Amino acid sequence: MKKKLTLFIAIFGLVVSSCHDLDLEPKGILGEPELFGTEFGVKKYFTGLYHKLPIEDFIYYVTTGYRPGNRNEWQALKNGIEQMSGQTFGWNVPMRDQGFGYWPYDDIRNVNVFINNFPKYKNKYDVATYNALLGEARFLRAFFYQGMAKRYGGVPLVTEVQDPINGTPEELNVPRATEYDTWKFIYEDLKFAIDNMVGKSEPGRANKYVAASLMSRSMLYAGRVAKYTQYLGLEGEASVQQGLAGVDRSKASEFFQYAYDAGKLVEQGPYSLYTKNYPDKAENFANLFLDLSSPETIFLKAYDGQTYGHCYDALMSPNPDFSSFVGVEMGPTLNMMQMFDFPAITDAEGKPVRFNNRSDIKNGMEPRLKGTCYFDGDMLRGKTFSIQRGIYVNFNGPASDAQYGSNAAPVNATSNRILGNLGQKYQGVPVTGNHGMFSGRGAENNAFTGAFIRKYIDPTITAAQATVNKSKQHWIVFRLGEIYLNTAEAAYELGNRVEALDYIEKIRERAGCNVTRPELDQTESSTYGYPIEKSLQFIRDERARELYVEGSYWWDIRLWRIADQVLNLYYPHILSCYYVFSEGKYIFIDEINRDNRSITAQKRAAYEPIPQAEINKNTNLLPQNPLW
Amino acid sequence: MFLASCQEVDNWDEPNARLYGNVIDSYTGQNLLMDQNDWQIRIIDRTWEAMNPGTVAQYQSLAVQRDGVYNNSKLFPGTYDMIPYDGPFWPIDTVKGVVLKDKTQQDFTVTPYLQVLNFKATLDGTNLTLSCTVKAPIITGLPNLYEVKGFLSLTTFCGNSNYINIGDYNNLRKSINKTWAAEVGTADSKDYTLGPYPVKSGYTYYVRIGANVNALSRRYNYSPIIKVVVP
Repeated sequence: MKKKLTLFIAIFGLVVSSCHDLDLEPKGILGEPELFGTEFGVKKYFTGLYHKLPIEDFIYYVTTGYRPGNRNEWQALKNGIEQMSGQTFGWNVPMRDQGFGYWPYDDIRNVNVFINNFPKYKNKYDVATYNALLGEARFLRAFFYQGMAKRYGGVPLVTEVQDPINGTPEELNVPRATEYDTWKFIYEDLKFAIDNMVGKSEPGRANKYVAASLMSRSMLYAGRVAKYTQYLGLEGEASVQQGLAGVDRSKASEFFQYAYDAGKLVEQGPYSLYTKNYPDKAENFANLFLDLSSPETIFLKAYDGQTYGHCYDALMSPNPDFSSFVGVEMGPTLNMMQMFDFPAITDAEGKPVRFNNRSDIKNGMEPRLKGTCYFDGDMLRGKTFSIQRGIYVNFNGPASDAQYGSNAAPVNATSNRILGNLGQKYQGVPVTGNHGMFSGRGAENNAFTGAFIRKYIDPTITAAQATVNKSKQHWIVFRLGEIYLNTAEAAYELGNRVEALDYIEKIRERAGCNVTRPELDQTESSTYGYPIEKSLQFIRDERARELYVEGSYWWDIRLWRIADQVLNLYYPHILSCYYVFSEGKYIFIDEINRDNRSITAQKRAAYEPIPQAEINKNTNLLPQNPLW
Repeated sequence: MFLASCQEVDNWDEPNARLYGNVIDSYTGQNLLMDQNDWQIRIIDRTWEAMNPGTVAQYQSLAVQRDGVYNNSKLFPGTYDMIPYDGPFWPIDTVKGVVLKDKTQQDFTVTPYLQVLNFKATLDGTNLTLSCTVKAPIITGLPNLYEVKGFLSLTTFCGNSNYINIGDYNNLRKSINKTWAAEVGTADSKDYTLGPYPVKSGYTYYVRIGANVNALSRRYNYSPIIKVVVP
């Protein structure tokens, strides 16, 4: 017993003495002084925040969100907002108007920690650097907030670092601010960022012009909300009456003016529209998204194909000729293709135009569309795209005889319309192209819509390299083309109609359109049941064309408050090429997608619901958004 | 041990009160024509708030059946606020303080935006044509007339929740989205003919027409359902 006691005392003594000197700063942990006390430390701190910015890029997944580093990005791409909103067609992505419950107050807290504590380290910096870093933090916070504002309208505005242990429920359960105050808060943050940052930064990091670009986009969103929410007819809803969803229409011009001014500021920066590959405007438009030295890029999100890769190349082009994963998951819809200058596929009598070759469809096509999509005859990675749906033995009548591809149409009887799979032949003539459109296969790895996406495709890699998580194109978050479109829309809304069309002309000049400057037309467009001038409608359509599959369209139609009208039993159409056997010519038929699938967004899509899990924690978030 | 741990019951009474009633069309005095679960009645349990100070009760939704009847027999007794929400009728006030005990009937009378009258289904071979008169008894303040749509179904359930949802049929709907004055003028009604819908020989269809205005979620006002047997 005594022995044991001695041992115990010995051990106890050892433990106590060894604890003696341990109250030191651990050397292996980066604490606040290391992170906030040096520029490199701050950069490290910000890197994690940049990584989580709400950017709807290659890895955005409509049901689970931004998913940074998830490593299952191929699922994300085929479940993106482009599919959901009918810009592309392939894999079935159900309408997800309730979003995924984006609620980034953890990231906002991290920014607030910096904003609140950074002043302690002021003496370690010169004034300009100190202000620039603080401005960068405000830019980051604004980015997170606009990611929520465009979904929910008004949200709680948290600027302090909350103390979850000692804080009272009154302090912690922050109620929603009005939508007006939320957008104004974003404005103030960005104003501070613009005023305090310089005009240059390393790629992937913000500077004065990046902040101005975010200002341009988000203030345009706010202006639309203020001007068009009234047409939803939701005045009776509690959240609308309290200003939590919707902004008074009298504020619209205030926000459009902010967007306009921000766009003008960006133009003072070192940016210009990409024209390096002139005179080939199609090639030029395609390269704009790949050229790392593009003067049009303002801000990008970087990928390296190693630690952070995505699957864009693997999922946009068919396997095995162009990629080596599951193969193509989506294609451009005919509805979208026909928004561009598109050759006529029917003649004056309504009969299908006869083409000598399938690739003749590109004659007279807008170069920008050729830079956006691959059609039959285009080359990629050493192979040629070959796309054909089938063979008509005879086709004598008008295109309407085909009844949008319906099997019930007499001309589509199986004896007259031959469909098939790869390698199948009709009297020695191949029924389909090498890459579709196959009848015996679903949407995956099939030219389901009659064309493929070209925008952002990297032609320099081999088919073997086009595989899962290996794509390394950067995502362009802001480019001057978008800023021009923002400014044009804001200017038009402010009544500067001629100036607005000046910007549209620049965009269409680069695009190679037949008509670069549309005539000013102030007559009313009745497309959406609320009055807008036809030229403003044209500016909106130009945005859909120029920013096709750039993550903009869904937010645009929501914030113009027309998502429920554009996507009202919206049938994605496809471009089906047939060989007419009796004539030896090709025709193109406008068909409804073969799944007979339509897309419908309810009116409630104008706002996402505040996540129920958050309301359960904080009932001050009530009332819920309209129609939820 | 598992048996033992299952023996415990909680100390709550089961929700055993029944709340039921009709949604009545003020023009016809009959139950509103609708499809099942087109829209819901929202109820808020105010007793919960009284028993738990500081909490905010959130609404529950009661489904309404296609005959305009609702019936829920698994609710907690208490005092409720009730409102038929987001239906195809002019907004009505919340009915406050409905005391729910054992069985409580609460009827609602609503004023539909539109009436779909004189509904006819004409069969010519395998082509089905639908016609009706859309009437707006109240034009002042009426949101845009949005669309007139035929619903075809192979079961007796027919309406926006149950119909043959294919492009061939959907594209035959009449999309309008104009003010009543722009679409109809000063009259209070207008005739519409939809179709012909290609139908299949040997099938029995149940058909009706729905019309809606651009209010809230654009629910439909319906005609009665007609049974069409295609020989």
